[in-house]
Amino acid sequence: MRCEQVKEFLNAYIEGSVSEALRERIQAHLNACAECRREYRFLQSIWQGLSLMPEVVPPANLHERIMTHVRANVRAREAQQRVAFWRWAGAAAVAAGLFLMGFFVANSDGVQAAFGFGGAKKPVVESPQPVQAGVFIEYRETKDGSRLPVLEARMNREATAELHYVAGAEPSAKPTLIWQGTLLPGKTLEIPLQTLLQSANERVLTLWWSVEGRKRVLFVPVGYPPARIASVRLQAKLSDALRQLASVYQTPIEWVPNGEEPLVVLDAQEASLEEALRQLLVGSEYKLTRQGAAWRVSGH
Amino acid sequence: MHTYDYISDEVLIERFKEGDEHAFDLLVRRYEQKVYQLAYRLTNNPDDAADVAAETFLRMYNSLKRFRGDAQLSTWLYRVVSNVFFDFRKRESRHQHIPLEIQTEDSEEPMELPVEDESVDIMGHALQQEQRRVLMEVIQQLPEYQRVMVVLFHIEERSYEEIAQILGLPLGTIKSRLNRARTALRQLLEPYRELFGVETSPTVGKPQEASDAL
Repeated sequence: MRCEQVKEFLNAYIEGSVSEALRERIQAHLNACAECRREYRFLQSIWQGLSLMPEVVPPANLHERIMTHVRANVRAREAQQRVAFWRWAGAAAVAAGLFLMGFFVANSDGVQAAFGFGGAKKPVVESPQPVQAGVFIEYRETKDGSRLPVLEARMNREATAELHYVAGAEPSAKPTLIWQGTLLPGKTLEIPLQTLLQSANERVLTLWWSVEGRKRVLFVPVGYPPARIASVRLQAKLSDALRQLASVYQTPIEWVPNGEEPLVVLDAQEASLEEALRQLLVGSEYKLTRQGAAWRVSGH
Repeated sequence: MHTYDYISDEVLIERFKEGDEHAFDLLVRRYEQKVYQLAYRLTNNPDDAADVAAETFLRMYNSLKRFRGDAQLSTWLYRVVSNVFFDFRKRESRHQHIPLEIQTEDSEEPMELPVEDESVDIMGHALQQEQRRVLMEVIQQLPEYQRVMVVLFHIEERSYEEIAQILGLPLGTIKSRLNRARTALRQLLEPYRELFGVETSPTVGKPQEASDAL
């Protein structure tokens, strides 16, 4: 055998993957050729050195680092998918001339509402006792840590109710009926709002909610509350001002109109939403109360 | 934690598919050392290795629901590590990248030289440390694909069949690529012959040296 041929087979020879006949021929050559013997020892030493590499000890915070990376990305992606899906769903609904409907169906468990979109898995749940009657915006923490707003309606007696969605910034714009039905005592109607939020294309969703003819307006923000508000200056009709505040503070605000709508002025520096609202309502007939996750500005 | 050691990968994967995030956490714990180790050997940098590991488990999270179990999870993870490594390298190379000087000193932890030991052992230890350092350094000079081949076959000691599965390539391709990788590595180690117990070739310059190039 020539040296070139032997060298070609040296790795296979070291691995033991050559035929018996070839092995003997290489062996014979190695016995006779110092140069190839050196090459053989060199290769053997390299492969042995690699196979004897010690185990790598990972850094102490590896697990944490991995889980942080996974969680952050999964959360971001799911938020993106939600936006994409609901944008698509909203567009599809509009295109089909559909409204985002829920309907009440009475069954043995009481009341159930079904929705045209996948967001509402359990529209009606048994209310924990005792309950406060009214309409609330609540935030549900999902597994990935995002907060999804849910509108909850509970009444102590049977009451007819309607929920409308108002597109655009103007609350007096033409409303779209989302839900219409009867609320039953002891049952809570839950309407997940992310469907609407994501199709709203705005920072704040405007909903009209009426129970037995009593109308109120809900301004529901799409995002999260910011850590700090530097300053808010505005001069507007009350409804516009509330809408803007819901947007700036990303906190839901409920407005129960009182017939007249005053013009309000606000110049708030580093104010909380409560402080801003109080300043806004000074001298008006409106009262400020807390209603679930929302602030309620009520003219009654 | 050890009570979960009895739970097989398959069961944990099923639980994860049903929405049990804790099962995912356990799978990460089970494989993070292996994944990090492979990543470290490919990158030779603890920070890059942790990044590769983190991205690997993110990809696992995203595709575990579709994992059908036709390969071992470890094999599949090795595949993901390789892919993430390739992707990271591609991304890097798109940026202006000035290769760093190879560090040739003090990159290893300080060596302990026990006084009682015989000098032969000390020499052996020091030699081995130096060999390892040189090997890891030289591996980094190989093109990515060759590096993966050498690391998987020679350090991680995976079989041809498993490497074929990991890289999704036919067995023949694996063998030929491994051969090229070995030849390249051997060439890069030529200046370090003595470190590997082989005296400098007395036949340098003679015609048969050309056969090394293969």
